[in-house]
Amino acid sequence: MGKREQAREEAAFLRGDVGVDGAATAADDRDAAEKERDQAREQLLRGRTWLGRELLTWLLWRSESGDPVVAVEGAEVVPLFVGKVLLRGLAGEVVELSARGDAAAYSTQVKHALQGGLLVHQARLRFTLGERSFEATLDAEFLDVRSAKLPELLTDEEDDRAAERLALCEELGAIVDAIVASFLEERASTAWRRRTVPALLAWMGATAGGRRAASDR
Amino acid sequence: MPVLRGSVTFARFRLASGKPPADARRFARALARGAFEPLDLERGEDDRATGFVRLDDADAIDFSSGVLERGRALFAWRVDALLIKAAAVRAELGRWAAAFEREHGRLPARGEKATAKDQIRHQLRRRAEPSSRTSDVSWNLERGELQIWAASRKTVEECAAAIEAAFELKLEPASVSAQAVRRDIPEAALAPTAELMGLAAEEVGRGQA
Repeated sequence: MGKREQAREEAAFLRGDVGVDGAATAADDRDAAEKERDQAREQLLRGRTWLGRELLTWLLWRSESGDPVVAVEGAEVVPLFVGKVLLRGLAGEVVELSARGDAAAYSTQVKHALQGGLLVHQARLRFTLGERSFEATLDAEFLDVRSAKLPELLTDEEDDRAAERLALCEELGAIVDAIVASFLEERASTAWRRRTVPALLAWMGATAGGRRAASDR
Repeated sequence: MPVLRGSVTFARFRLASGKPPADARRFARALARGAFEPLDLERGEDDRATGFVRLDDADAIDFSSGVLERGRALFAWRVDALLIKAAAVRAELGRWAAAFEREHGRLPARGEKATAKDQIRHQLRRRAEPSSRTSDVSWNLERGELQIWAASRKTVEECAAAIEAAFELKLEPASVSAQAVRRDIPEAALAPTAELMGLAAEEVGRGQA
């Protein structure tokens, strides 16, 4: 038995969910597919996670051209999806899909999955500002920064290095915030439904009608 | 200390209301309100102890100096937890049930078993060694941006709630949703985009998303 499974069993026992014999004290009658769908729906609704997923999907589309998306303190920010990308959704039979590879996020396989109603839930991004670059994994729900790589520190003094490192982390936060602000401006405008969504769907290779037909299937 | 070196993983928060004191003495007093207190294995019943400690020493709760520097506050959040293995409780309970049956000539009732389980848990608790973890916290007081350097969401939320209580202020996460609310974007404009999620507009309208 794996460590994680053992810990889960122990927690269930201590909560009183299972008895000494390991049997459940209250049975859950839902079938596996229903449980999975409910879980996917709960993940999407919690803290309006769909907004984060739409942001990351929009950013994937915007970043493909290699053009800057926003400017932070005068420096243009060019985002690029690198490494692993995790897609999640509600419609269809697949609720989660993970793609790994150098340019996996821009692959036809990922676009095909986006066509099927999945959206980007977590991705590794590189933000280039002139000669400097930041890298971080972001998730749709909280936009937490994970395993970030910061530009090289320029100072030698221990105290100064700590302050510089913290300033770079804050700069990374400011980059993410600027992208969110740009997304929200577009998302709240009438152009979102009139221009952006059709353009996004066209980029994925589908029309809204085709997408609905696909989800109906 | 991840703030100073190592993996860069953090959750971000902003001030929604209230303000932390910029004065070092008042800041230290607020931190002391949520200072870490170790578990009392003999007398206490808690399995977890949490609170603020110094960034440079996880056993120190003297915040009178070295916390506020260059417009930033640096401290840490410590979580001590006692983990009592369910397998150990189960094994002891099995032994107790066998002894009970020998002595009384019948199986223990549900209530008797539950009482015995509590007693066994209490005995094991006194012998257990707590695990200890600290997560760094950096707070840019000028920009009002707080970073909790932890990957676990439970730790992040617990620490944020403790900061809110100690400093009597309200924090909001840096999520897209929170930023939309701060920008006063109307609720109607934040509904899921049905076309992108492979759902019909009516399904989103009915709240099926």
